[in-house]
Amino acid sequence: MRHLFLIDEQEVEAGLLPADTGYRLLLGDADIPVALADGRLTVAGRSEPVAVALEGDVAHVHLDGRAWRVEFVDAVERYAHTGHAGADDVIIAPMPGSVVAVNVAAGDSVAAGQVLLVIESMKLETAIKAPRAGTIDMVHVAAAATFNKGAPLVALAPATEG
Amino acid sequence: MRQIQSSIDVNSAEFQANAAHNQGLAAALRERHHKARFVRPQRDMDRLARQEKLFVRERIEALLDPGTPFMELSTLAANMAYGGEAPGAAIVTGIGIVAGQEVVIHADDASVKGGAWYPLSVKKIVRALDIAIENRLPVVHLCDSAGGFLPLQADTFADRYYAGRIFRNQAILSKLGVPQVSLVMGHCTAGGAYIPALSEYNVIVRGTGAIFLGGPPLVKAATGEIVSVEELGGCDTHTQISGTADYPANSERHAIAIAREIVGTWKRAEKLKIERIAPEAPHYDPAELYGVIPRDIKVQFDMREVIARVVDGSRFHEYQPAYGTTLVCGFAHIFGMRVGIIGNNGVLFNDSSLKGAHFMQLCDQNRTPILFLQNITGYMVGKEYEHRGITKDGAKMIMAVSGLEVPKITVIVNGSFGAGNYGMSGRAFDPRFLFMWPQSQISVMGAEQAANVLSEVKIRQLSRNGETLSPEQIAAIREPVIDDYKRMSSAYYSTSELWDDGILDPVDTRNALGLALSCTLNRPIDRPHFGVFRM
Repeated sequence: MRHLFLIDEQEVEAGLLPADTGYRLLLGDADIPVALADGRLTVAGRSEPVAVALEGDVAHVHLDGRAWRVEFVDAVERYAHTGHAGADDVIIAPMPGSVVAVNVAAGDSVAAGQVLLVIESMKLETAIKAPRAGTIDMVHVAAAATFNKGAPLVALAPATEG
Repeated sequence: MRQIQSSIDVNSAEFQANAAHNQGLAAALRERHHKARFVRPQRDMDRLARQEKLFVRERIEALLDPGTPFMELSTLAANMAYGGEAPGAAIVTGIGIVAGQEVVIHADDASVKGGAWYPLSVKKIVRALDIAIENRLPVVHLCDSAGGFLPLQADTFADRYYAGRIFRNQAILSKLGVPQVSLVMGHCTAGGAYIPALSEYNVIVRGTGAIFLGGPPLVKAATGEIVSVEELGGCDTHTQISGTADYPANSERHAIAIAREIVGTWKRAEKLKIERIAPEAPHYDPAELYGVIPRDIKVQFDMREVIARVVDGSRFHEYQPAYGTTLVCGFAHIFGMRVGIIGNNGVLFNDSSLKGAHFMQLCDQNRTPILFLQNITGYMVGKEYEHRGITKDGAKMIMAVSGLEVPKITVIVNGSFGAGNYGMSGRAFDPRFLFMWPQSQISVMGAEQAANVLSEVKIRQLSRNGETLSPEQIAAIREPVIDDYKRMSSAYYSTSELWDDGILDPVDTRNALGLALSCTLNRPIDRPHFGVFRM
């Protein structure tokens, strides 16, 4: 499986494997010898000075008179929203309890991590947050309602591909 | 180490004729490989697309580290069985690199009869797991099988090496601390359900993956309960309720990405420390092997010419060069790894048998894996040789080859006949890998000799009844026997029945040996100890 990079927001798939000296970069059908050493990047024999600053999965690369933003996209993240994202769409009760507050209604747009409702169980309040950005499809419970473990609380509209 | 000096004239008519002949055989092999791997009826590919499933080859490609080799095993399994309807026995197995680790891959091919297991499918999976056990290689299972092929269930179910052995092997791997991950990409029903269940890690694809002992129709028939596939054994059922599956995935590529992350968390096996030097390409071009192998299996050739085109720098330290000369023994390196090589240069006599047994003990003592290069018609027969104890000298070789603790790898480069197959580490002697070249033949004796014996018996039976046979009648008895015998002693028949791990194009042999040798070094080697040699 090749890696996905966002280079200044443009998607590039590439593979990198160790070679006798440096690495081999697989790009499309091309197989290019590359090396990074002593502040110089060598690609197919051509060597340029390079500066790289890392910030998590993002590398800021200064090369050839300009800066590039190169983001590594983890493969699991990348494919998590392909196919049948069924379970992520319905938020189910992690334990039995009652509803303290409902913050959203069907049709609302929500951001990932936004608090959708608050439940209470065993003298503890728990915030139920959106697992991803999306639109609320249905709120299954009202304030003060009680529910069992595994009951559906809120459903998100299915994510579109990508 | 000295370089072998080839005495072959690459410009000779003989060499050129051999090369043309053997290149033709290699091209035919490539063609058959291609067909077994990729050619499927359109309706089967359409069905996969409808089910949002990737073709098994796409799954494997996505699983492997980009640009790394995949050593496929037994590509042509079942090529002469089931009317040719089950290419590769509906299973793909091999060794590849995932997240930087060597792993065994077992993948059901749902484009062949829904991935149903034929008897040879079971044999192929058991063999892949044997390789995992013997070489301590982690396993990735890509599960997508309709279950056992019912018309042939009697040949898949109950015997020692039938389907139960798959699960037994999984449990043994687990006991040895060798991890497995299963990707459930279709239905894993009945026995097939145990593959993910017996893996330390498993990932199930929502919508297409399911695990159950009996599917909905069977449940309805048994208890009257009506239940959907998803509810009975789908992704959410097993990852949230039963705990039978570990990781939910939304698509096949998502599942593969998760599996790659899982393999990346496994501790890498420490390789055995054997002598290693910097690898060096052979001095003589491996492509010249096509001209080295004679067109006729009866024509003798010097095994050193093969060794020179397989080992690093064509360098070979020959052991006992003047004694027992029909067996060539010595040391060389393959991709920098030291190996002992035992190759046939003619029939095995008493002295060559003694030399072979002695050299095997030497390699076991100095911890050197052994490569056997078979081109053997057998042990010498006749009064003189029996008086000298040819049988007990052959037994010494068998005792030695069976007792070896160092890894063995066997390549049948031409003939493999009679007890020579045994003394030279045939399949029954557990070489870690066994490969064949396309023109090679394997049988208890040569086709013509066997046909003579068999037709002789028949003719004698008939003449006892007072019949005399014309030469035409004799030929009519003899020829079908020869044809049948030839078919069943061909490399294609051997690989169809999984007597080997695949047919190699001779030029690929060095690469295959490099990967195979590297795999053998995952497992510690016990101290040398042997049974009783009859002196």
